[in-house]
Amino acid sequence: MSTRSSRWTKYRPVIALSILSMLVCGLAYPLLITGIAQAALPYQADGSQARLGGRAVGSYYIDNGFTLPGFFHGRNETNPLTASASGVDPDITVAEALSQVPRISNATGIARSSLVALVTSHEHWTLWVTGTPYVNVLELNLALIAAYPSSYPGYA
Amino acid sequence: MIDAIQSLIVVAILASTLISGSLLAPYVVRVLTGTPTRLDRLLDPFESAVYRLIGADPKMTMGWREYLFAVIFLNVAQMAIAFAILVGQGVLPLNPQGFPGLSWDLAFNTVVSFGTNTNLQHYAGETALSYFSQMTAIQFLQFTSAATGVCVMVAMVRGLRPGSAHLGNFYVDFVRVLTRILLPLCAVAALVLVALGVPQTIGGYVTVKTVEGATQELLVGPVASLVSIMQIGTNGGGYFGANSAYPFQNPTPVTDVLEIYLMLLLPTTLIFTFGELIGKKKETRPILIGSYGLLAIDLAVAFLGSIPAVGPGIETRFGGFFSTLWTVITTASTTGSLNASLAGINPLGILSAYMGMLVQATPGGIGVGVMYMLMYVVITVFVVGLMTGRTPEYLGAKITARDVKLVMVAFLVHPIAILVPTLAAFATKAVDAIPGFSSLPTSVAFTQVLYEFTSSAANNGSDFLGAAANTPFFNFATAVVMFVGRFVPIAILLALAGSMIGRKRVAEQSLRTDGAAFSFVLIGSILLLVVLTFLPFLILGPLLAYFQGLVNFVG
Amino acid sequence: MARHVPGLDRVLGRARVSRRPSALTAKTLTESVVRLSPASLLSNPVMLIVELAFFVVAAMAAFPSAFAPFASPSDRGFYVEVAAVLIVTVWFSTLSDSLAEQQAKNTASALKQLETEVPAKKVVTEGWEREVVRTLSTTLQKGDLVLLEKGDVVPVDAEVLEGIAMVDESLVTGESAPVRKAPGDSLIGGSKVASDTMTARVAVNPGESYLDQMVRLVESSKRPKTPNEVAITMVIFGLSAVFTIIVASILGLSVALGLRVDLSVLIALYVCLLPTTIGALLPAIGLSGISRLYERKVVAKSGKAIETAGDTDAILLDKTGTITVGNRQAVELIPLGARTVKEVGEAAFLSSWFDDTPEGRSVIRLAHEKGFVPRELNALSLSEVYDFSAQTRTSGVKLHFGSSFVLPKGSVQRVRRKFFLEGPGEQGMHLSGEETEIVKGAPDSFLRSGFTVPKGFQELVDAVASEGDTPMAVAKDHEVVGLVRLKDVLKPGTREKIEAVKAMGIRPVMITGDQPLTARSIASEVGIDEFVAQVKPEDKYGVVLKEQSHNHIVAMIGDGTNDAPALAAADVGLAMNSGTEAAKEAANMVDLESNPAKIIDVVLLGKQLLMTRGAVTAFSISNDVAKYFAILPVMFATAFPALRSLNILGLGLQTAVLSALIFNAIVIPLLIPLAMRGVTFKPSSTMSLFLRNVLVYGVGGVVVPFVGIKLIDVLLGVL
Repeated sequence: MSTRSSRWTKYRPVIALSILSMLVCGLAYPLLITGIAQAALPYQADGSQARLGGRAVGSYYIDNGFTLPGFFHGRNETNPLTASASGVDPDITVAEALSQVPRISNATGIARSSLVALVTSHEHWTLWVTGTPYVNVLELNLALIAAYPSSYPGYA
Repeated sequence: MIDAIQSLIVVAILASTLISGSLLAPYVVRVLTGTPTRLDRLLDPFESAVYRLIGADPKMTMGWREYLFAVIFLNVAQMAIAFAILVGQGVLPLNPQGFPGLSWDLAFNTVVSFGTNTNLQHYAGETALSYFSQMTAIQFLQFTSAATGVCVMVAMVRGLRPGSAHLGNFYVDFVRVLTRILLPLCAVAALVLVALGVPQTIGGYVTVKTVEGATQELLVGPVASLVSIMQIGTNGGGYFGANSAYPFQNPTPVTDVLEIYLMLLLPTTLIFTFGELIGKKKETRPILIGSYGLLAIDLAVAFLGSIPAVGPGIETRFGGFFSTLWTVITTASTTGSLNASLAGINPLGILSAYMGMLVQATPGGIGVGVMYMLMYVVITVFVVGLMTGRTPEYLGAKITARDVKLVMVAFLVHPIAILVPTLAAFATKAVDAIPGFSSLPTSVAFTQVLYEFTSSAANNGSDFLGAAANTPFFNFATAVVMFVGRFVPIAILLALAGSMIGRKRVAEQSLRTDGAAFSFVLIGSILLLVVLTFLPFLILGPLLAYFQGLVNFVG
Repeated sequence: MARHVPGLDRVLGRARVSRRPSALTAKTLTESVVRLSPASLLSNPVMLIVELAFFVVAAMAAFPSAFAPFASPSDRGFYVEVAAVLIVTVWFSTLSDSLAEQQAKNTASALKQLETEVPAKKVVTEGWEREVVRTLSTTLQKGDLVLLEKGDVVPVDAEVLEGIAMVDESLVTGESAPVRKAPGDSLIGGSKVASDTMTARVAVNPGESYLDQMVRLVESSKRPKTPNEVAITMVIFGLSAVFTIIVASILGLSVALGLRVDLSVLIALYVCLLPTTIGALLPAIGLSGISRLYERKVVAKSGKAIETAGDTDAILLDKTGTITVGNRQAVELIPLGARTVKEVGEAAFLSSWFDDTPEGRSVIRLAHEKGFVPRELNALSLSEVYDFSAQTRTSGVKLHFGSSFVLPKGSVQRVRRKFFLEGPGEQGMHLSGEETEIVKGAPDSFLRSGFTVPKGFQELVDAVASEGDTPMAVAKDHEVVGLVRLKDVLKPGTREKIEAVKAMGIRPVMITGDQPLTARSIASEVGIDEFVAQVKPEDKYGVVLKEQSHNHIVAMIGDGTNDAPALAAADVGLAMNSGTEAAKEAANMVDLESNPAKIIDVVLLGKQLLMTRGAVTAFSISNDVAKYFAILPVMFATAFPALRSLNILGLGLQTAVLSALIFNAIVIPLLIPLAMRGVTFKPSSTMSLFLRNVLVYGVGGVVVPFVGIKLIDVLLGVL
């Protein structure tokens, strides 16, 4: 028996199994999941995109980068000492949202009480029962546009 | 302190992992012992084809040396494949963003990191890795390193089992763990995650115009398939740099709870398989009480202090409670994924994280958690067992001087692997390469660097530094620490298990290890021998920060 | 409800050799100081490290400026104090070694005294000439012949060559009744000839006796580490290595991070964390374990044997000598058929006349007490004696009335007879009116040999046996006339010992040559659940192997050459000093008192040794918690005043380090008595022992130093 072939016998399982497991775990598995997900759950699989007037404007899960005074703003453009972990936190606390109400009211003329009511109606709790109540900024702003289309010309 | 509802949530999560673990365990035992299952008709022909293809005789059995060499060879070969993919991703397919290949030191660090089930990341996946790399390098190694963990555990258990003659066949264990445990579980978990909002696509990043008209890229990709194995396999390396704080990895509190649950699922299940595999059902008890008892202590330490509110490094949807809970669980299971920035966690939470990483068995990483707990059991039995007036035995086998020697060498791995490079990082001023590092207070700076190496040695992977540590020093040093921290204990413990084969077993053990009494002594001994040993360094790091009145580690 | 189990001391009884003279002498003190030399500390690395630490701190005290920035001249006084405590710590360790060794030597030489120089009468033969030379025991060589007359002390271990004599072994064995010694029997050096004269051959060379072996075993320099000591040394090594890395890292970080840690404080922390307590006491614990055996006159051939004794989970107990006193006593005469008690008594008397065993004598005594002295007594001088034969298991006598041949006066012709093998009537042995044959023995042997057996014989035999007694049948002229009930006399204290052994999870198994019914009754009387009956000495080997094949660790005793294979196979073999050389060679322990019941003591002492080692180890390791909390806040206090909140003991910043270090040192001499005496325990289940010891030495090990360090700190504050 030649040394070369005996060495191959020894290392063959290692090398063959490495390649095979890469093909199964690294390609077959994620591609299969992608196929099923795209077929069965395309909305989520593509990133839960929000639509406004028929066009995709972003994802509910990603900060939409609002900067205009007439909208609720996310927490991610403020200074790094208050930044979220992801940098794209789509939510702000209700308290933070309420603190923005005067600015939005001034910019749009919408009554403060209406804005407060809107914030309250879009309030979320972590796992419904705990944590600090928060709102999804994109969801809230889209609701704002839908409720007061006249205040947001050109958006709807 | 946490309130009643939050306490209830913690209890509910732990209870559900315990219940699922106990329910899943009988199936896992069947897989690991080769007992027929319903999946046989589907998988047997496939597996036989695999064995034929790779040229391995599934009936062959291995001694501890053969098993160990097979483990190391296979893992190194897989790391080599992944290395080639990462370095060459620029010319490989499925790279819609056109990312270039990784530098050799970063690629080296990354493959060792994923090949050792650590998943320390000195890069941000969304800006560095192609879809192809995320799948064929990252997800691939996440599966194989997790499977390896289960294999070495079952091999060790075979050695400890009275009357055993060999450690089994690594190739068979490896294939069966993949096809019958990890792949099916991950497929289900991935699809659930997609349904709950985690993207799964290879169509490229989506560019949109935001409401205000700015251009925004939605960084979608094959995320769900990665998150499932990252959590189930206690890997922890995320698709994104921000890991599970990034909403696409963990969009809602529901996915958050699910992902916490997945981290604990298999480590807990494997604890439940132990008694069955060893042939003495009650021997599960000390492992279970030890793991979950220490986990309870970890949680108490973390939740004793004030929990951060929504603030720096904390995602609004999770808040301080879920961020701290995740941090405790991710280190206790040595997973290393994060749903917040570590810098946002309070010092006692970080202290708790250190405890989880130092013990590595609460319940620890997939497979290796049980291994480490068995190591603690052996040394505890030896030290306290003498007090029954007999040479201590575990599972009927007398603990010899050689066993003690092996365990003591394994004990030395952590202090050496953590402290030597930490010291080197400061002594060589390698830390100065980290942006903004020199302005940090000593407690924070020390906490961060010590954490880097503790996390590496414990094959955890969470870190403060992240891509900031993408320097040749940290890439090389952590790679060495991860490799040593993974394979040296595995080698020692397989040697220990191998030496138990054919050893005379006494009819009745003097010290009963299957009761609550021993379990509590075990907890005390682990705290004494493992956690207390590192007290000086914990004092210089998180405890100092705590006494200095810091609420987090943000700059 | 747990039954009352007496404490260890009660079970073991008082030590038979006292520890005088006290081990703490000027010689011990000198020895302990001599051992401070680094060269002699090589076998104890932990203490070597402490001594090296002493040299460093001493150098700091002498040249503080050379150690900048880790030392400052203003702290010189502190360095002197730390250095002093460090060297005292090492000295406490060498002192415990010296004390334990001296104690062991004392007990060993107390036993040795038993065979110190005594006058001896050496027999020198020259051709036909025999001459007796008066000499000293120490000059005797193996093979020499010695004359032993009434009143002489047996000079050294020897074997009887000629003559029969009674020997008083009470000095050596504690057994008060003189023992009959015939050719082939062993004589123990130190015993005294009570009657008659005999010649014996010396069995050992000077310096070769077990006592000499024993003295060698306690020379610490020559004593090899036992497996368990090696394992504990591994723990000590491992922990020392861990703490070395940790302390070295603190030193490095102190430089890198500018923590301004004082080197002497760091060294103090290092020494406190090292497992110095167990490191210091480990050799003493092992030696004291050997001493405790010596005090009970048991000589172990190795330290390992004592540990294995502790591991024992099955003890094979010879019924005779262990559970019952060596001899059965005749207590009742039971007639069969139409016979009267008197007939049975007289027949028993005659059959036992030549039986010198205690059993035989007790039959004579019983018959005599009842007034059944037979008329045929005078005919006994003209009789044929059938010695006891193991094959027939009978013995007896054939009386000749008016026989034609006359035997020399005072002697008896002993006939090795084959009667039962070849059947009656053969070899011309027919019975006539002038002859009466009376035989006694095991009932079943009569059945097999075709004797006439009255009705109800078997029922009566079984009834006697099931009451735990031994039935002995007596036959006259081939007809069984009745039974003698022989009662076993239980050894006092056996029940308690069996109880203790069972409480500790050890299975006592009784071994006996008796038939099962008798065996069962005796076993249950002393609380033994398992027994092996009708065992011949050569069967013991098989019993040992069988127990071992069921994964038991077996201890047993033996004295005969037949026992040697079993003694060698057993994990713990305890030979009787009165036994044969072969048995003593095969065993790993020898009981000088030849008391088989000692096997239980040996097992309990083995457990005590292991328990003591475990307790001190656990105590030593648990102590680290308090020491950490004493030193760390002070160590980093210069750099980080915030850490003072960790000073939970409220120790003085100047005194905390010294307090911890002093506690670390002082705990060694405080534990020396524990190390030398052994952990006291009450035999009970292993788990309750475990819990109790964990509570006392583990949890206690965490709590005690908090209190101790605080106390020392308060004292230092006052000074």
